[in-house]
Amino acid sequence: MNAANPNALIIAPGNHVPVPLSESEQIAQLKKTLLKDIQRSAYVYRVDCGGCNGCEIEIFAAITPIFDAERFGIKVVASPRHADILLFTGAVTRAMRMPALRAYQAAPDPKICISYGACGCGGGIFHDLYCVWGGTDKILPVDVYIPGCPPTPPATIYGFALALGLLGQKLKANHHQEGESELAQPRWPDMPLDLRVQLEREARRMAGYLYGRQIADKYMSLLDLKSPQEFNARIREYLKQEDDPRLTEIFTRLNDISAAVLG
Amino acid sequence: MSVSGETRIGRNYVEGLRQKFPAAVIDEAWQTADQVTVTVQLGSLPEVVEWLYYDQGGWLSVLFGNDERPLNGNFAVYYVLSMEGLVKSWVVVRALVDPIAQEFPSVTPRVPAAVWGEREVFDMYGLRPIGIPDERRLVLPDDWPEGLHPLRKDSMGYRDRPAPTTDTETYKFINDSKGSTTDVPLGPLHITSDEPGHFRLFVDGEDIIDADYRMFYVHRGMEKLAETRMGYDEVTFLSDRVCGICGFTHSVAYTTSVENALGIKAPPRAQAIRSVFLEVERLHSHLLNLGLASHFVGFDTGFMQFFRVREKSMTMAELLTGARKTYGVNLIGGVRRDILKDQRTATIKLCGELRTEVAALVDMLLETPNLAQRTAGIGRLDPKVARDYSPVGPLVRASGFKRDIRADHAYAAYPGLPMEVHTADGCDVLSRVLIRAKEFFDSINMIEYALANMPEGPILIEGFDYQPHRFALGFAEAPRGEDIHWSMTGDNQKLYRWRCRAPTYANWPPLRYMLRGNTVSDAPLIVASIDPCYSCTDRVTLVDVRKQKSTTVAYKEFERYGRERKSSPLK
Repeated sequence: MNAANPNALIIAPGNHVPVPLSESEQIAQLKKTLLKDIQRSAYVYRVDCGGCNGCEIEIFAAITPIFDAERFGIKVVASPRHADILLFTGAVTRAMRMPALRAYQAAPDPKICISYGACGCGGGIFHDLYCVWGGTDKILPVDVYIPGCPPTPPATIYGFALALGLLGQKLKANHHQEGESELAQPRWPDMPLDLRVQLEREARRMAGYLYGRQIADKYMSLLDLKSPQEFNARIREYLKQEDDPRLTEIFTRLNDISAAVLG
Repeated sequence: MSVSGETRIGRNYVEGLRQKFPAAVIDEAWQTADQVTVTVQLGSLPEVVEWLYYDQGGWLSVLFGNDERPLNGNFAVYYVLSMEGLVKSWVVVRALVDPIAQEFPSVTPRVPAAVWGEREVFDMYGLRPIGIPDERRLVLPDDWPEGLHPLRKDSMGYRDRPAPTTDTETYKFINDSKGSTTDVPLGPLHITSDEPGHFRLFVDGEDIIDADYRMFYVHRGMEKLAETRMGYDEVTFLSDRVCGICGFTHSVAYTTSVENALGIKAPPRAQAIRSVFLEVERLHSHLLNLGLASHFVGFDTGFMQFFRVREKSMTMAELLTGARKTYGVNLIGGVRRDILKDQRTATIKLCGELRTEVAALVDMLLETPNLAQRTAGIGRLDPKVARDYSPVGPLVRASGFKRDIRADHAYAAYPGLPMEVHTADGCDVLSRVLIRAKEFFDSINMIEYALANMPEGPILIEGFDYQPHRFALGFAEAPRGEDIHWSMTGDNQKLYRWRCRAPTYANWPPLRYMLRGNTVSDAPLIVASIDPCYSCTDRVTLVDVRKQKSTTVAYKEFERYGRERKSSPLK
């Protein structure tokens, strides 16, 4: 770090791809010590490197009354010179590369860098555009990534807690090995495939992907191919219980389809 | 698309044009019943636009270039006018630009609203507007090489990154003041919930004499992306990410433009659902702005209270769409999510709670003496300036113009919803705050009404044909003004050209006139009152020209001064 000449820090982007700054071992050591024994509030400075404002709004939501990150001592400050944590949002645009580097230089060492949101973490949907250098880690060393488009306020607070060493990261991995005699079962083995496809398609057309799937599954779980009378009574009972005119409308359409297919 | 002669709305404008400028009109093409594209001689472009704008009640919504050399051998410029005279329709004036000369007569001297658009046409296509008073770069960053125009079809790939030409800012700020002034740069980084942008205030003591700004710090190249890497159906989800606050409005504007171009009619239930989601977005955006208005007049309790209540509207969004922000529920030809009984009852309950709580908060805000003191008569947008620059949203409505796309060119389910366009004559920050408060309650009424009167039927249509080289406009009223999208389909299921104009783009140019004559401490308030995707700045350098002295003031100091108005940092 050359404080006298801040421009010395800037590495000319070789091959039109920027080389991220790196931090020295001494600073990494300082950071470790700080995290072990922070014992005070941590100040956060936000740097918008080219975000769409979605992340900024959710950070705002995280520091206002309902989520209230300040109860954990996390406070947003107005100057990078007061900051312990720098929060970078958005894919780094050409015009924001220098201001972001200047904010980084202005913060005192040791500082924790958080990359916030899908665009901050890897450039997001904009990762390879002509006016974008990519995620935050293309120009700076990043300690914590908070993914999401945008991350929710609870995810934000969880990320802060990770950055401050208050929490260990919860990672779950589960690998499933298919057994030799293991066979994937269709959901409705007795249902004619043609009928099932038509029912699911109509339900999705009427209620969208999520609810359509749920409604089609419910309908097929009630469907009894052997005794239509019993099935009709069951459906009537169910619809009465739900008391939702829209659901009745969709079920009527599904009924028409199964009647046409089953004859 | 063929639109039969009788149903055409806005024929009178084309007939008027043919009479007034018999030699100018080359061709007319109707995209929908109320959208016409008139091709005119390049030389008469300024007169035609001026006549439609000032004599026929037109407003310049957006203007853009297009590289049509692969189609007809020429570049083209399009000026989109929203006709809001007796007949409400869209007239798009198109002129072909010679590929060798690469210049066109500037409309800006006659219609000032064209200034940003023409600067952008030069940045993106290298077409020089002859006679434009302001030739500075607009969109491209300062370190971008000269002579490289990204949207030309033959200039560069979408992921080519030319080496930076400079590490410093080179933008020249314009100061029209006569006497000596102090320079006050603000930005580009700042503390509040905003995007980067750089302001330069020219002040004499405490008074702002003139102001200029550099925006587009977050230019990423979305329009190029939409034309290259993505298919036309995927751009719906890209348009969701144009703005973090009014993203859904953008995706409605985009899907509407493609639906108009291809002649697709989204089912009535889908339209109603779109309207509900649009109004939910308005709820949380207006609460955000009312909160910021409280903050900037020094009423921080109000700010925290508005944000507390705002979470109810975020819950509503999550309940209905599955996401707090960036819903991703729009598709071309419909939506991806229905509203069933559970969501309906929960939303109506939240609406009731929001109505009571916000009414109490708004009363509290209006009874705070600070508000009227700090906002009445501040940041005046003169109706004359408003007429010249075509601003949008609550900003223009607070200057006495009854402009709202939801009423003027009703889309989605708005023709059947109970809405009122609120206007005010105060032209100041206070009027804008009051209009937003009124619109908030309108939105709640509309959501409740739409949920009670949901049409039956599917929410998505299937089986339409994609046709290349069709184009049309799509539009939607965001909380801060209208979003206008113009899409032209191309080969390989990709867009040939996508132009997306966010409302703040139309509201920046007149801001300069709103800042003039106010004091430095009012600047954050005025900027916030246009509800930009930006509202304040991180540090202030004050250059006193009289004393030939330059000082840098931390943003916090500046904001503190804005709220308390004590111990000026200038002294």
